[in-house]
Amino acid sequence: MEATSEPPLDAKSDVTNQLVDFQWKLGMAVSSDTCRSLKYPYVAVMLKVADHSGQVKTKCFEMTIPQFQ
Amino acid sequence: MAAGELEGGKPLSGLLNALAQDTFHGYPGITEELLRSQLYPEVAPEEFRPFLAKMRGILKSIASADMDFNQLEAFLTAQTKKQGGITSDQAAVISKFWKSHKTKIRESLMNQSRWNSGLRGLSWRVDGKSQSRHSAQIHTPVAIIELELGKYGQESEFLCLEFDEVKVNQILKTLSEVEESISTLISQPN
Repeated sequence: MEATSEPPLDAKSDVTNQLVDFQWKLGMAVSSDTCRSLKYPYVAVMLKVADHSGQVKTKCFEMTIPQFQ
Repeated sequence: MAAGELEGGKPLSGLLNALAQDTFHGYPGITEELLRSQLYPEVAPEEFRPFLAKMRGILKSIASADMDFNQLEAFLTAQTKKQGGITSDQAAVISKFWKSHKTKIRESLMNQSRWNSGLRGLSWRVDGKSQSRHSAQIHTPVAIIELELGKYGQESEFLCLEFDEVKVNQILKTLSEVEESISTLISQPN
């Protein structure tokens, strides 16, 4: 087994993944049942990530524009 | 009718705050009886109930239409002229409340309408991989990014990603494409 000298990650997830694919779209939320006048743009991201075993998972999430910037 | 006791001022401000917590920010446990006993103890429950409903309705209308200040003034003026509407003192309190809480309420509405995970946080660091048994990579920098994702009302999920320099540059290029798209969208009149 390969030994790297990476220190143990101080992170909250156990596995580090490789990014396989990054897709994005820019959307505009116009209105919803709780708010007739939403009018906010957002960035939706779909990541395909592979863990050490090669298993690929898809993760989707959204950001507001200020978050993105 | 104890209209005087339902006037504006501090109790109404407190009431609007509590209504916002309940309706928009999802704060649990805010009941009609709690509000009445804390803010309007002199008012009978049968009288308080329609008053509360009226205030909640007004707040929801204002938030739903995301009223700007002109729309707000017009709306509140109309409410003061209505039968069973509000007093001008109450209108002033509501106006002041919306002006100071608008941004936060809007943010909550945005969060509520997002059904995918949202990005709650991002941390990163750069490691230098010094060596491994099978290859002599010395000081290859590796970027490690931890994304904190979560759906509205649910606990966070953490996603840890590793990138070499080539990947980082690819991502940066993609991000600037997104940035360009955003600028185009924002500069378009709607």
